[in-house]
Amino acid sequence: MAFGLGLDCMSIITIVALALLVMIAGGFYVGRSRAITAVEGATAGLHSLPNYHGYYVAIWTGVPAFFLLGLYAIFGGQLVDRLAVSELRAQAAEINRLLDDTLAADTDFIELNHAAENLRGRVDALNDEISALRNARGDNRDPDRLTRLRAEQIEALNLSTAAEDAVRARRQAVVAAVGADAVTDGASERALAGYELAQAPRERRQLFLSDSRRIASGELASRDSVALRAAAQAIAGYDRNVKIGAAVLALALGALGFGLTRARISSQFRARNNVERLVTAALLLSSVIAILTTVGIVLSLLFESLRFFASVPVLDFLFGLQWSPQIAIRADQVGQSGAFGAVPLFAGTAMITVIAMVVAVPIGLFSAIYLSEYAGPKFRQIAKPVLEILAGIPTVVYGFFALLAVGPAIRTLFTALGFESVVTQSALSAGLVMGVMIIPFISSLSDDVINAVPQSLRDGSFAMGATRSETITQIVMPAALPGIVGAILLAVSRAVGETMIVVMAAGQGANLTANPLESVTTITVQIVMLLTGDQEFDSPKTLSAFALGLVLFVLTLLMNVVALRVVQKYREKYD
Amino acid sequence: MTDSPRTFPVREDVERRLAKRYRAELRFRTAGLTAIGIAVAILCILIGSIASEGVPAFTAKELVLRVELDADRVDPEGDGSVASLRRGSYNRVLQDALREAFPGVTARNDLRTLFGLYTPLNATRLMDAVLDDPALVGNSYVFTMPLADDLDLYLKGRLVEDRTLPTAGRLTASTDGDIVSLRSTTADFTALAREIEQSMAAEARTLELRVEQVRLALDQVPAADAPRLQAEADRHAAAAVNLRQLARAPDGFLPLTGDVPSVIVESGGQAFRLTQLAVDGKSARGEVVLGSGLVENADDWTLYVVDTPESRRRVSDQLIIWTRSLVEREMIQTGFNTYLFANADSREPELAGIKGALYGSILTMIITMFLSVPIGVFTAVYLEEYAPKNRVTDFIEVNINNLAAVPSIVFGLLGLAVFINFFGLPRSAPLVGGLVLSLMTLPTVIIATRAALKAVPPSIRQAALGVGASKTQAVFHHVLPLAAPGILTGSIIGLAQALGETAPLLMIGMVAFIADAPSLGLAGFTEPATVMPVQIFLWSDGAERAFEARTAAAILILLALMIGFNAVAIYLRRRFERRW
Repeated sequence: MAFGLGLDCMSIITIVALALLVMIAGGFYVGRSRAITAVEGATAGLHSLPNYHGYYVAIWTGVPAFFLLGLYAIFGGQLVDRLAVSELRAQAAEINRLLDDTLAADTDFIELNHAAENLRGRVDALNDEISALRNARGDNRDPDRLTRLRAEQIEALNLSTAAEDAVRARRQAVVAAVGADAVTDGASERALAGYELAQAPRERRQLFLSDSRRIASGELASRDSVALRAAAQAIAGYDRNVKIGAAVLALALGALGFGLTRARISSQFRARNNVERLVTAALLLSSVIAILTTVGIVLSLLFESLRFFASVPVLDFLFGLQWSPQIAIRADQVGQSGAFGAVPLFAGTAMITVIAMVVAVPIGLFSAIYLSEYAGPKFRQIAKPVLEILAGIPTVVYGFFALLAVGPAIRTLFTALGFESVVTQSALSAGLVMGVMIIPFISSLSDDVINAVPQSLRDGSFAMGATRSETITQIVMPAALPGIVGAILLAVSRAVGETMIVVMAAGQGANLTANPLESVTTITVQIVMLLTGDQEFDSPKTLSAFALGLVLFVLTLLMNVVALRVVQKYREKYD
Repeated sequence: MTDSPRTFPVREDVERRLAKRYRAELRFRTAGLTAIGIAVAILCILIGSIASEGVPAFTAKELVLRVELDADRVDPEGDGSVASLRRGSYNRVLQDALREAFPGVTARNDLRTLFGLYTPLNATRLMDAVLDDPALVGNSYVFTMPLADDLDLYLKGRLVEDRTLPTAGRLTASTDGDIVSLRSTTADFTALAREIEQSMAAEARTLELRVEQVRLALDQVPAADAPRLQAEADRHAAAAVNLRQLARAPDGFLPLTGDVPSVIVESGGQAFRLTQLAVDGKSARGEVVLGSGLVENADDWTLYVVDTPESRRRVSDQLIIWTRSLVEREMIQTGFNTYLFANADSREPELAGIKGALYGSILTMIITMFLSVPIGVFTAVYLEEYAPKNRVTDFIEVNINNLAAVPSIVFGLLGLAVFINFFGLPRSAPLVGGLVLSLMTLPTVIIATRAALKAVPPSIRQAALGVGASKTQAVFHHVLPLAAPGILTGSIIGLAQALGETAPLLMIGMVAFIADAPSLGLAGFTEPATVMPVQIFLWSDGAERAFEARTAAAILILLALMIGFNAVAIYLRRRFERRW
């Protein structure tokens, strides 16, 4: 059974992994005992302790082999797919050639294609004319003509879409006919599978592959056909081969490492230094991951953003007042580009951040002042952890709290005050709850900063007869100000990047409004909206999420850098 | 040059100012205390509101039915094979059991309402029970299933406002076709009739006010909207007139429509739903919902009033009466809500559970733990103990500090672009979720580890080096063990954060509806799954009211997990903390 096959192959890799573990243990033992025998038990004669010889052999036996297995785990599936697809394609080459010939000889198809091309040309010409008109200045501006051209463009687009549909339909008919011929001619099942795969549209191709993969591993597929099963067979075959190949290679690497390192062991061998060099390399490698993460973030955001900016100009994105990316449903639809003016998102983000800060800064700052200047050690011991609980609560819980309690409360309150049509999901509710989330952030950072102000300053002030509050407002605060500004900046960057609260509590309408009782949307909300659910990866709609991500990243990065600078500068003053 | 009492005004002045300064001091101090008070109060409100919403969801009202597993119903082929048992009509079995419990319900519409007591998905559970034990076929079996979500909320008193009114007189009921006439020896219905009359009058007044408002607004709206508004005003006005007319009770009876409280009379296993109340307060008319409809001089009867009008709630009077009858007959029991823990997600709130999300969280956390802790500790050890002071290490340090402040959603974008689109790893899988979360947790672990390493005094290192240990030996044999408690604490706190993280996981597709829990094994890492916080997010905008309670319950579980994590961290810190 196919299921059994999947199990078999799974266990090959498991067995190899287990064998490698045994080899590693063996390597350690062999390395160790070989070192001991090399000096006939007088371990003082060894350069390194016997264990280090063992570690050395074990590391070289295990690491490269497991590295290979890791590569296989990540890329194995893709490799199998590639191999299987290329085989199927090769098998289907004949039928495909036949299809090309048939299509080239099919007058209907040629004619339709020609017509579609003409229409496409017309649309392009109209597009050029419209953009020329749109950029025109002075006397060349002609709004009436622009409107007329737009109408014409829509008509032409519709015609062109219809024509392309016709071309596609005709092509499908020919494809089906050629396929049927091939079946009667007795083409192999794999060839037919390759043919189906080659002629399917892109998204169908993915489905075809995933279905055949499922059949190959004995799972339930969404459909079942002869072609699918043939493809599944090919995939299963390659899967087995690649698996066995990976297994054999891993074992060979392990054996090779074992053999080479074992031969090097002698009384003079500097095993400890070698092992320590490897350890250091591993440590360095780990810290490189942090850099790689940053590089990965920057590159992926930049790369996708550039693709987005190829279809939407940067300035339109940064300064446009209209945000409605949802229009782009189909690739060939009118108004496909949607509207990608991000100003409403920036405004929404700014409003919610401001509301959050209005809540968080006074409460957080006064808490910090009380905790550091007034509270006794006992009160501090209780109050500080309680505040920190606020920081530990997941943001999705805050979002639910906003939905459950704060939003309805705001609606009741403002409806009672005579406001009309107050919605539950509003900038105010999201901002308030986010403010609560940020309180501990500001209070603990400010607490640190205030505590760092030297006691001598306070004592001096008290000696002059100042009260505590005077000391705080006139001596401690000015001294701590840079640090507090830094803390607030960090808090702002936190608020700007916060996602779940706004997704749940702020609504989704891209309103450009100054009224906190309306629902607004933010950068993060739009990223979530654009990337959850089904999406094609190349549409500007999806790519715009990465552009927003880039803006978010740059924004928060700038704030953090500035904040850290400010804090550092302040620290230097008193150290 | 005098010692005249001229200094006294100055002194007074100073004293006055001093008093003012002390008042300012007190104000300032109070402001600080208030700030802390506000923060603590908000925390209490937050926890309190979620707990009060979520705690009831930990119990479930269950319907206990004795079902007859007739062979011809559940074993259509008659061979007792698995395939045959799978094709049995288990929902019919459940329906039969309910019909037996309510023999009086025969009309097709009423039956459909009756079957609303449970969700048909329970048939699958019954099938699983039979598949587990095929010997049940042909026998009767006591099957327990959760009551429909709305009725569950009703019984917990969270869906409607209701009350039971005392009665003094003796009740006599007689049927005339579909209509039941009820008569009491005393004026038991008077208070109720007055109330209903008043509520009708109030409703009419609201309508009239609305008409007034619309008429006023008519002058200000564009002409195109005027006809629509006019029609609305007319409709409201007509409705108000109608209400006033009805409230006057021309034939001596007040009608009970779906817009006023429902009144139910219960007497010895019988139940009537009132449709008309006499103004004299002694008699009423209604329809039989349960029982024969004949009552003779009964003194044991109650008036049950559901104040939430039928048009404004999701359960009908019929269902309420049937449910109450089931409770009376002890066919509904209250049990611990095992469904919440034993099931994965479901479209029906009463069957939806957190098992899938919990398993997803466990799998994701395993990946996160095994990646972020070793890599984070290694990085910190390198930076703190090995790295030469140069530009590269400075760059790494700045990098890590910045990574700590990168919004979590950006990590999700990274995961989508790199792990899913570039490496082709499966969407929605705990593997990818764990990778993304470990990158996110890495800075936390690194920073905590560095702090722990910094706290180990240099004398330890010097002593180790002094007796001839190599640098690696000094670090791994002496410094790391001493820093371990701090590292452990920091790692646990970082993992707890990752456990509560939602946003990046939305990006990589862990937000789908998944009805099966992933397997807790190697294969589970690449199966589609979701995690606790995402499940909370998904449930929070569930259409059913009962999902709100589930959401709150899931939050309580998540918070309990996180508090557990943090408690362990605090315990470890207290237990092993060492001050030098």
